[in-house]
Amino acid sequence: MSLRADERKDFVLPYIFVVVLAVAWLLPVYAMLTTSLKTQQEVAVQHYLALPAHPETANYGQAFQALKQGLVNSLVITIPATFLCVFLGSLAAYYLIMFEFRYATIAFFGIVVASFLPYQVVLIPLTQLMNDLRLLDTYQGLIFAYLIVNTPMATLVIATFFMKTPHSFLEAAAIDGCRPFTFYRLILVPMSIPGIVSAAILVFVQIYNEFLLALALTSNPSVQPVMPTLATLKGSEVAQWQIQMAGAVIVSVVPLVVFVFLSRYFVSGLMAGYSKE
Amino acid sequence: MVFKKSYGFAYLTPVLVLTGILYLMIVWNLVASLTVWNGILPTWKWAGFANYLNLFSLERFWDNLRHNVIWLVVFIVPTTFLGFVLADFFSAMKRTEVVFRQIFLYPMALSYIVTGTLWAWMYDPSSGLVNSLLAAFHVDVARLGWIADPNIAIYCMIVAGFWQYVGFAVVVYLGAIRGLPTEMFEAARLDGASRVRVMFGITFPNVGHGTLITTTMLAIFTVKTFDLVYIMTGGGPGDHTEVLPFLMYQVAYSQRDFGMGTAISTVILLFAAIMVIPYSNWAIKKWVRE
Repeated sequence: MSLRADERKDFVLPYIFVVVLAVAWLLPVYAMLTTSLKTQQEVAVQHYLALPAHPETANYGQAFQALKQGLVNSLVITIPATFLCVFLGSLAAYYLIMFEFRYATIAFFGIVVASFLPYQVVLIPLTQLMNDLRLLDTYQGLIFAYLIVNTPMATLVIATFFMKTPHSFLEAAAIDGCRPFTFYRLILVPMSIPGIVSAAILVFVQIYNEFLLALALTSNPSVQPVMPTLATLKGSEVAQWQIQMAGAVIVSVVPLVVFVFLSRYFVSGLMAGYSKE
Repeated sequence: MVFKKSYGFAYLTPVLVLTGILYLMIVWNLVASLTVWNGILPTWKWAGFANYLNLFSLERFWDNLRHNVIWLVVFIVPTTFLGFVLADFFSAMKRTEVVFRQIFLYPMALSYIVTGTLWAWMYDPSSGLVNSLLAAFHVDVARLGWIADPNIAIYCMIVAGFWQYVGFAVVVYLGAIRGLPTEMFEAARLDGASRVRVMFGITFPNVGHGTLITTTMLAIFTVKTFDLVYIMTGGGPGDHTEVLPFLMYQVAYSQRDFGMGTAISTVILLFAAIMVIPYSNWAIKKWVRE
C-alpha cells in the first residue's frame, strides 16, 4: 500500500471510531444475554460483563412460563393480520399502479398520509369502535385494528415494487386475453416476490412489536399479545433483572431471527416504507 | 385502459374501506373532543371548547408539550448527525460495511418494550449496568440516579431512543450517498480537500433528501414515544418524562376523562399533520417523477 500518511490517518481514525461505537451498540444486548443466564447471587455482585459461572437456564423456564400464552396470542394475531395486510395491500397497489383511475392521486395521497400519521391519534375512538362492535378482548378485534393501522403502509411498500414492472406487460397480457386477476396472480405477484416479502416483514415486525393498541384493546391474558405481557412481567419481577432480561430475550427471538436471516428484505422494507426510496 | 375500470375498482375497495375507517376515527376524535365524555360511553353532549380550555389551563399539559419539544431537538439532531457520519464512513468501506451496518441496525428490530426493559435496567441507580461500568472504570460520579433523577431522566430516555434509531439514519444516508456520482468526490480529493471537508462540504449538502427523510421520520417517531415512557418510568419522576401521548392515555384510561383525552389526541394530530402532510406531498412528487 502506498497511501500517504494523512490518507492512512484518514482511514484508520474513522475505523477506530466505528469499532468503539459498535462495541457500545452491542454492549446492552451482551449484558442482557449474560444477565439472563445468571443466578440472583451473581447478578447482585453486579459484574455485568463477566460470563455466568454456570448458565442458569431456570430463568428462561420461569420467564417462558409467564410469557408463553402471550407468545401464542401474538402469533395467532400477527400472522393472519400480516397476511391480510399484504394481500389486501397488494390488490390495492395493483389497481393504483396498473389501472387508470381518475382519483388515483387523491387516493394515493390519502393512503400516504394515513401510513405516516401516528395511530396514537385514533386510539380512543378505535377503542370505542371495538367496544361498540363487541370486539374488545378478542383476536378478531386486534387483527381488525392492526389492519386499519397497517394496510396503508403495506399498500405503499408493495406499490413501490409494482412500479418497477413495466406497464407493457399488462397491455400484452390483456391483448392475449389474460384476465386481470390471472395477471395479478401469475405474473405480477411472482415478479414482485422481493417487494411482497419486504412488506410482509415490515408489517409483521411492526405488529409483533406493537404495544399501545394491544394494551388498550385487550386485558384478558388468554388474548393479550406478548408485549403487554412482558410489561406485566417487568412489573411483577421488580429487581429480578435476570428474569426480566430472560423475558426480553424470549420476546426478541422472533424479530431478531427475521432481522438476521432476512435482513436484505428488512432493510428494503424499511426504505420503501419510510422513505419511499 | 386495458381492463374494465368498474371491475378493477373492487381491488382497491378493501384498502379504501380500511383507510376510510381510519379517517372516520380522526373525525370522530375531533367531534368527541368538543363534547362531554366522562366514563364509559360517549354522551355527545356539546361542550364547545371546554375540553381544550381545561387542557390548556393545566400546567402538566405545557410540561408535556415542552418534553415533546425536547425530544424533537435532542433526539433528532444527534441521531441524524451520527447516522450521516457513520454512513459516510461505511460508504468508503468494502466488505466490513455490511457487518457494521447490521450492528447499528439490529435495535430497529426490537420492540420499544424490549428496549425500555433493557435500558431501565441499565439505568437502575443501585444495580444498573451504567453505574456498575462507571464504577469499574473508577469514574465515581456519586452514582447518578439517571432515569430516577428529574433533571436528566428525559435525556437518559432519549439516549435509549438514539441507540435504537441511529441504524435507521445510517441506512437512509447510505442509500443517499451511494446515489451520488463518484466523480464528485474524486475531483475534491485531487484538489487536496481533507476528508472532513469533503464530508461536510460536498457530501452533506448533496444528500438533502436523506436529511429530510431522516429528520421527518424521527420527528414522527417522537410522537410515538409512549411505549418507552410507559415501560421505563411511567412518566416519572413526577411528570418529568411524560409526553403528550402518555398524558392522553392517562387522562383517558386512568382518569376516564375521554373528552379531554380526545382533545389531547387532536393536539397530537396537529403536531403530526404539520410534518406528515408536506412530507407526503414531497414523497408523492418524488414518486411520480420516477
